[in-house]
Amino acid sequence: MASLITCPHCGQRPKEEFTIKGDAGLTRPAPDADADVWYDYVYLRDNPKGLHKEYWHHSSGCRRWLIVERDTVTHKVHSVADAALAELGGAA
Amino acid sequence: MPDLPTSKPALAGKAPLQGVQFAVEALPEGHLLQLMGPTTLDELRALFDTFGLGGSVIRAAGFRQWYVMGEAPLEPAALRGIAGALPRGVFLSDQSHGRVRIRVSGPRAAQVLARGTAVDLHGSQFPAGAAAMTLFGHIPVHLSRTGEAEFELTVLRSFAEALFGELEPFAA
Repeated sequence: MASLITCPHCGQRPKEEFTIKGDAGLTRPAPDADADVWYDYVYLRDNPKGLHKEYWHHSSGCRRWLIVERDTVTHKVHSVADAALAELGGAA
Repeated sequence: MPDLPTSKPALAGKAPLQGVQFAVEALPEGHLLQLMGPTTLDELRALFDTFGLGGSVIRAAGFRQWYVMGEAPLEPAALRGIAGALPRGVFLSDQSHGRVRIRVSGPRAAQVLARGTAVDLHGSQFPAGAAAMTLFGHIPVHLSRTGEAEFELTVLRSFAEALFGELEPFAA
């Protein structure tokens, strides 16, 4: 587990300040998609070995949602970006 | 009716404590406003000056978030006036009764706070005027440095007594 996350707004903080909110690589299915597709989206998760993108919420800091790209083997954090700003195409 | 709830400060009855090179003190519950939105410190400063709140301090509290704090209570009419004059997209939440300020000071203040928070409190990283949202132990706080050896902690009202209690032994 990565123990230090460099929040784009707050700087380097310990993981205790964050809440991990899951895989950031999922795409929400269409509302009328098959039940199997929805079941997969809601319940089934990969457990990747290596690079992994996750949503992290800086819940005890700036309260921004971040996208953390980290390596589950080496624990190295490759990038941290503000999720909303990344979505809008702006730099965090 | 003796059983009616009465309004009193969260840290009522907590006297300021002065220990060896460390002091802790509950600040008066005046006004404390939280602002969010695409604005700047300068713009907010100008706005609050026009409402006669030049004495209130404005501190950053994360991306596009600020706290405006002062020791005088704010009348509801004044609050409505400010809320109506905010720049487009900026929102205000009155936290005057929701958050409490505690001042810690003394040459040992940074050392004591470092026991609870992961923020680097060295003068070169966190100079006077700096502010951060962080954790003190398990309690979320807004931490700001008001002087070389003086800090202010803003904490949710329901955590105020616990936080004060954690700091008390250091000022004994």
